[in-house]
Amino acid sequence: MIYTIRVASIPAHDSAGRALHRTIENALGILMLTAVRVVTVYRLEMEGLGSEQAEQFALRVLVESIDQTWSLNAPLLMEGQRTVEVAYKPGVMNPAAASLMKVASDFRLTNLKAVDVSTEYTFYGQQVSRAQIDEIVARLLVNPTVSQVVKNEPTTLLIEGVRGSVTTIPLGGMSDEALMALSRDKLFLSLEEMQAVQSAFTDLNRDPTDVELETLAQTWSEHCSHKTFNAELIVDGCPKPSLMERLKGASRRHASGVLSMFHDNAGVIPFYDGQAICGKVETHNSPSATAPYGGAATGSGGVFRDIMGTGLGARVVLSTDMFCLGPWDLKSELVPPGCLHPGHILREVVRGVGDYGNRMGVPTANGSFHFHEGFRAKPSVIVGAYGIMPETCVEKGEPRVGDKIIVLGGKTGRDGIHGATFSSAAMTDRTASVNANAVQIGHAIEEKRTMEALLACRDAGLIRAVTDCGAGGFSSAIGEMGAKTGVRVWLDRAPLKYSGLHPWEIWVSESQERMVLAVAPEHVTAVLEICVSLNVEATVLGVFTDLHRLVVLYDGVVVCDLEMEFLHHGMPKRTLTAKWQPFSLAQSIVINVPRDNDNDSWCALYKRVMAHPNVCSREPIVRRYDHGVQGTNVLPPYGGCKGDAPNDAVVLRLLPGKPYGMVVSHGINPVLNQIDPYAGTLWAITEALANFVAVGGNPVKGEAAFIDNFIWPAPTEHWLGALDRAVDACVAAADAFGLPFVSGKDSLSSTYRGKDGTVIDIPPVLCISVFGRIPDVAKTMSTDFKYPSSKIILLGKLDGYDFGGSVFYDLHGQLGTSVPQVDLKLLPRIFRRLHELIVAGEILACHDVSEGGVAVTLAEMCFGGNIGADIDLTRLGHGPIARTVFFSENPGCFLVEVPPGVDLEKLLGDLPWFMIGQTMVEQVIIGRTGPYSGFKITLEDLRAAWKNPMREVFP
Amino acid sequence: MNPRVCILQTDGTNCDRETAYAFMRAGGNPRLVHINQLRARSVRLADFQILAIPGGFSYGDDVASGKILALELTTFLSDELRAFVEAGKLVIGICNGFQVLVRTGLLPFRELGKMSATLTHNVSGRFQCEWVRMVVEQGSPCVFTRGMESEISLQIAHGEGRFFASPETLVQIEERKLVALRYAPHNPNGSENAIAGVCDPSGRIFGLMPHPERFVDPLQHPNWRSRWMEPPHGLKIFQNAVAAARNL
Repeated sequence: MIYTIRVASIPAHDSAGRALHRTIENALGILMLTAVRVVTVYRLEMEGLGSEQAEQFALRVLVESIDQTWSLNAPLLMEGQRTVEVAYKPGVMNPAAASLMKVASDFRLTNLKAVDVSTEYTFYGQQVSRAQIDEIVARLLVNPTVSQVVKNEPTTLLIEGVRGSVTTIPLGGMSDEALMALSRDKLFLSLEEMQAVQSAFTDLNRDPTDVELETLAQTWSEHCSHKTFNAELIVDGCPKPSLMERLKGASRRHASGVLSMFHDNAGVIPFYDGQAICGKVETHNSPSATAPYGGAATGSGGVFRDIMGTGLGARVVLSTDMFCLGPWDLKSELVPPGCLHPGHILREVVRGVGDYGNRMGVPTANGSFHFHEGFRAKPSVIVGAYGIMPETCVEKGEPRVGDKIIVLGGKTGRDGIHGATFSSAAMTDRTASVNANAVQIGHAIEEKRTMEALLACRDAGLIRAVTDCGAGGFSSAIGEMGAKTGVRVWLDRAPLKYSGLHPWEIWVSESQERMVLAVAPEHVTAVLEICVSLNVEATVLGVFTDLHRLVVLYDGVVVCDLEMEFLHHGMPKRTLTAKWQPFSLAQSIVINVPRDNDNDSWCALYKRVMAHPNVCSREPIVRRYDHGVQGTNVLPPYGGCKGDAPNDAVVLRLLPGKPYGMVVSHGINPVLNQIDPYAGTLWAITEALANFVAVGGNPVKGEAAFIDNFIWPAPTEHWLGALDRAVDACVAAADAFGLPFVSGKDSLSSTYRGKDGTVIDIPPVLCISVFGRIPDVAKTMSTDFKYPSSKIILLGKLDGYDFGGSVFYDLHGQLGTSVPQVDLKLLPRIFRRLHELIVAGEILACHDVSEGGVAVTLAEMCFGGNIGADIDLTRLGHGPIARTVFFSENPGCFLVEVPPGVDLEKLLGDLPWFMIGQTMVEQVIIGRTGPYSGFKITLEDLRAAWKNPMREVFP
Repeated sequence: MNPRVCILQTDGTNCDRETAYAFMRAGGNPRLVHINQLRARSVRLADFQILAIPGGFSYGDDVASGKILALELTTFLSDELRAFVEAGKLVIGICNGFQVLVRTGLLPFRELGKMSATLTHNVSGRFQCEWVRMVVEQGSPCVFTRGMESEISLQIAHGEGRFFASPETLVQIEERKLVALRYAPHNPNGSENAIAGVCDPSGRIFGLMPHPERFVDPLQHPNWRSRWMEPPHGLKIFQNAVAAARNL
């Protein structure tokens, strides 16, 4: 019997209802509702009758009479226009239900068989139509891949199924067409690869099982094996080393001090006091496109596990998020079929990243958002994580014969099946329905306790090796860990969320929050004890053998028996051809620049730049993220006297009471790669380093490292040509700055193909992250102006000609043809000098020039100090350039606040610099365009223009 | 011997380590203790002078924030807890810990098992992470806020920090001067009477939504580069607790 308990807060405390009401008005423009109420629905399935028990349980656990009302087996709010209940689909991870089962077992409520928790929305307002409520439900409340409207009372909450079975796939003799039909939507392997599998099994004189085929598909997926980056490349007819070889080669030249790069989950560099820091940045584009909340949350969860599984285990200390999305106010008719509205995706990915990081207790303190129509079909969702570990734990041990395989953490369900292969596939209008299983829901609390258990085992010296369960689930994690030895796995021992899974599903499921350990037999008991003490489930799933085979048993029957050699090295090596041809770009560019003395036009333009989607304040988003947890933050994302001035990077003091700091920054600008992938790449790298240096990071060998993330439309000839140039630029930058790439990721499938033949390529994205160490966090810099009457210095070479991809051009509807150039000879000198000045305490504030140009940099520094500025634009350049250069986006340029009376020649020497003005008490910005002309605008006006856009999305 | 502090952990606790550091800096002797250890009696609450329930999302805040941990404490450890507070030992709950203490009934009236106030969803309906200003109520019996500056700044980071009680209860809380910290001038979450922290009538049990453990060093303030604040505003709370526990 199911007992349904509905609980509602008093209207004054129904913040969720009010927030939803606001979102309905803002996002959908439906203004007829007078109120929305949210009710939590608990369903308890009891063995036999238990209405008294259900009532007691409700009163004791579920209801707080102080501000809540409730009902048992009856509707609760009846006066509304309509009530709609939304629940997770059966089998989707529902963390609240798991918590309730714990309480029930604590209270020995033994006849409780299952619990479900869902949400009921009641809409008030006579004027609202049925169709409008349907629209609200469809666009804001239900995501068909994970949730549904409850139409009938369920008869049971238990998911039952017949114990799954294994199927043999008759591969032998299959035609090429049949092979590809098998691969499509499921395995995502190429014909060549399918043929390789076919011939291997022909040699064995048998057909593969579904478990074997799935294992190969996962291991050989683009996601797990970087096929494109490892492929031989023919560029414009000439063979070139693979992209990976070039990146690794450059990195090896500058790797002095690096503790681990490219071979582990994350790159590792030294910290202080015997500690090391590691960094990893991942993408979660496909899951976030179809289920943005779950996709972003599990993106964070996944990259946290990458850190947890680095070396012998690391503690996660920072979360970062970089998002490229379609415009949040895109007209509905421009959203391609099968895709979600970008505004919805924006709100949901923010909620996902916030919920996961906040719950896990990891500060989310560095990130950015970029909006462009090219992302309207598939967003680029980039999530990073950083960790700390003892230097002695940087290297994993090699599993030895007889070591046990222990799985830690969450149970396995059907969620996330085919995630690895799915993420390597192009998105189509069929994506949402075919790949529903690929969506995962995260459970941050599970991951938190799993991390604590893992680190307790590490500190007790019980772990030989560890890896996370990510893409490909057990198949990848265990297959990889046992690559050099061999493994035998008893798959039926895996703890399951519900029965009815086929063995292959258990094997490749991407259920979240699981880690896999290799543990010497004598330590198994100790590991299991630690796990029990921290409420973490741990199971011995298998053993390492010396057979060099991957053997999986289910109920005593061998369901998979593959040679490790074939699994890991049997994939046909690819040769890819790339062709570079410059993008054809419109040449005629018409720009209106305000006249020198046209104050109103200047002010209007300035405000439009500040309000541009890629410039405007992200503070409402950042405030939803806990960036102070762990108590390590010594330079928050937003500071200044009103707390609304953005800083360039984050500085964390990782060891309490010690002065040592970790600095993390990033650079990304997808628009520029559309014009020139080489220059665009240099821009991103320079921007990342400029942010890093501006706060006090030390940009020299041994102190800092890069992480790369390439998100490209598709590995076609044309896009590979662009990728080839981007990688060359990475190599040039690594050599110029003397810094290595220590970790990276490529995702080369961000093309949308519609039924009607529509093809949407995203603009190619390169996100560069930088992380490094500094000996003293007290020697770091914020962006806010500190005093009036300081000198404002422009440091760096600003060019007034290359406006391609700039905000200034975008406001004129232009893309442009030339990207701001970077001087790789000069920049390292500027960076080093700036670093010296910060450490010596010679400057008061510093902020790098980025989207929107000097105009934005200056305004943000003024906001922080609540201090005005009087600047002479003619100092920036001569003639007509003087008027536009204010908006020029040259990377590697800085505005620097210097106390009056300092000898600037002595400070900056032969570096390019200009004294462009000074700070002042009056809260205005004065821009002089000539001896008697210019403009004057109040900080209040600029601030409002800059803050309003995002406030509307995130009220 | 420095006073022993039990920093309580459970699934989803996440401000435990920095809270332990704050106590260490204040001269205490903190130890991270999992609720399972207390339930199994392998660690005894009676061996400590201070109990600190740190911030986080205990059990995911499922059902209500801090609810399940509060149930666990009142169900399985009520005798130990009662003995602890009756011995005049100190209890502090920060953020999620405050939510737990209110749901155990220890705050505001020290009535274990009887809940008379709540902390519910912020008026904004969302999680908020920001620095806020507060006044320290000078007439409060709160041991933890003794001798503090009259105005302080700390970071909040919560989605459910709106203090609520019936009008009659609020009158009692005010009359007995149980409000120790009040948001001012800006009330970030819609708390009744702008309440940020309350104590029990003895002043030895204290709960607050802001995070004092995130400001025990001047460098933790977002604007230390323009305004150096020493001593950092959160440290005194831990020092007061340690000082009061020395006499136990």
